[in-house]
Amino acid sequence: MSASLQQVRETAWQAFEQQGLPTTRDEDWKYTDLSRISALLGEQWWQTVEQGELDVTAADIPELDAWRMVFINGHFDSETSELPAGITVTALSALIQDDPDRSVELLEFEPDAPLSSGMTAANSALAIDGACICVSDNTKLDKPLYIQYVSNGGTSHLRTGIQLGKHAEIEVIEHFVGHHAESGLTNHVTAIRLAAGASCTHYRLQLEAAKQCHAGRVEVNQLADSSYTLHAVELGGLLSRSDVINRLNASGASCHLNGLFVLASRQHADHHTRIEHNAPHCKSRENYRAVLDGRSHGVFNGKIVVAEGAVKTDSAQSNANLLLSSNAEIDTKPELEIYNDDVKCAHGVTVGQLDKNQLFYLTTRGISEEEAKQMLTFAFADEILAKMENKAVRRFIEKEAFSKLPNITDLEGMLA
Amino acid sequence: MLKIENLHASVGGKAILKGINLEIGTGEVHAIMGPNGSGKSTLSNIIAGRDGYEVTQGSITYKGKDLLAMNPEERAWEGVFLAFQYPVEIPGVNNTYLLKAGVNAKRTHQELEELDAMDFLKIVKEKAKLVELDQSFLSRGVNEGFSGGEKKRNEIFQMAVLEPSLALLDETDSGLDIDALRIVANGVNHLRSEERSVVMVTHYQRLLDYIQPDVVHVLADGKILKTGDKSLALELEERGYDWVREEAAA
Repeated sequence: MSASLQQVRETAWQAFEQQGLPTTRDEDWKYTDLSRISALLGEQWWQTVEQGELDVTAADIPELDAWRMVFINGHFDSETSELPAGITVTALSALIQDDPDRSVELLEFEPDAPLSSGMTAANSALAIDGACICVSDNTKLDKPLYIQYVSNGGTSHLRTGIQLGKHAEIEVIEHFVGHHAESGLTNHVTAIRLAAGASCTHYRLQLEAAKQCHAGRVEVNQLADSSYTLHAVELGGLLSRSDVINRLNASGASCHLNGLFVLASRQHADHHTRIEHNAPHCKSRENYRAVLDGRSHGVFNGKIVVAEGAVKTDSAQSNANLLLSSNAEIDTKPELEIYNDDVKCAHGVTVGQLDKNQLFYLTTRGISEEEAKQMLTFAFADEILAKMENKAVRRFIEKEAFSKLPNITDLEGMLA
Repeated sequence: MLKIENLHASVGGKAILKGINLEIGTGEVHAIMGPNGSGKSTLSNIIAGRDGYEVTQGSITYKGKDLLAMNPEERAWEGVFLAFQYPVEIPGVNNTYLLKAGVNAKRTHQELEELDAMDFLKIVKEKAKLVELDQSFLSRGVNEGFSGGEKKRNEIFQMAVLEPSLALLDETDSGLDIDALRIVANGVNHLRSEERSVVMVTHYQRLLDYIQPDVVHVLADGKILKTGDKSLALELEERGYDWVREEAAA
């Protein structure tokens, strides 16, 4: 291990020891108590597990035509992976061995970055694997890259880096999955850098096992006229928190953040997003929706920061929430910080139950009340899923999301 | 077909219907006219089964069964259809999917086989022509972004597909221009048959020029004050409602 990599690790570890896990006294962590993780996993919760053996194909997305990269319990599995030629996709573990200086770039650590916490520090100190993706100028990956993070309990720290050259293009599908009954933690950081004119479509599908905790951080830095689209889906896990920091750093950059939570029983999911308009003529669109059943708890905090020089900013944010149960809870907060006058910023939040007039209308057409509720719930959530251009992913998520809600009887028909 | 006896109903403790008696025979077309606030919409909503109305007295018998004991979907399966005064927009629920689910739920209730997609599509296309509804509306969300006239045509289109035994048209004519009114009336006339009864609730005589009723009732102050043939509608148009009230009070 080169000295500089070791330095990064040490700095991060010190920061982790100092910061520990955030408490609910911190405004950014008010509704999500990460200290539960040490209660669930023990004092040494951060210790990583061995790779072990797992049937990974069982977790695949049906009919998805893509390159694959598989991580089992946080370790790259070359046997089940199929990597494209022509662009550089390597495992962080291999990079650390072959070119430690380059791996430092990926693990680069800024303890003061917004929404950074001891969890991010632990990741920088302990991540031993992840995906390193470099696409050179004017190159487009012919098929999407599907990255599966499959676990059977225990803790893993993963670090993924995506760097796109000028006018490069890629679609990445990150899928977090497990079917085990153990508790565990996935601590995952993705750093994305887009050069001028680059385009990245990013699916982040959180379908962890029932007792798994999930900590995610997506940090995106964009240059001129680049575009970034995120489809963030929260279906699985017990306790999940993700932070998305999207910086529009040069003129003409645009981002679309789409989020869907479908939660039941005692699930908890929290997304804090921060879009920074740091340059003129940038555009951001953010649409988050949550369907909450049982005693589940959703948290959405969407911050838009428009810098002084970021004139002609065009920003719109909407967050809609559907509560299917009187015991479900949503805490939602849009935050706008605008430091110039020449901007267009729209935002809106709704929280509600199924519409009684719509329900009555459907039942007068012979639809049973139960089925009418399903149709309306489906329609509500599908507004986000309809934005997914990858049909195989969309179909997969529709099925996974609605199998969680009781008595969806004719999903196939609704999908038509 | 439908027999309403001494029906009293209230909303939030306020009495709206105060003893309605009404009998609608199979194959008949009835018009219920009356001033604003007379209880016309309350009556159609109670027949269709909307929440929020309290029936305090009386009964509604439909095809020999107690209608008030059924929930709205059961009424639909038994052949009751309400064309809404204000059709509801349901973004994300496909118009055709809704109808297919409705038709098949009814067929299941009748112990018939469900229609397959191809047969259903054929029926839907044929009925859409009847109300001059463009095919593109079939795959859109229910009433999503439809104009007022398109929404009303969509109601009649749904009625044509669902083939009810008892169709209630709640102020279907309101907000329609002459062309749309003609199209809607055509659709309704096309569905007139010896097995099907139609109840039109309306303010104006205008609709009755296009759909000729067998019987006209005047509903005011929560009661049926007068019943006659279609000439009664013309008389109401000319003289208003006050004379009916006075006559009833006398």
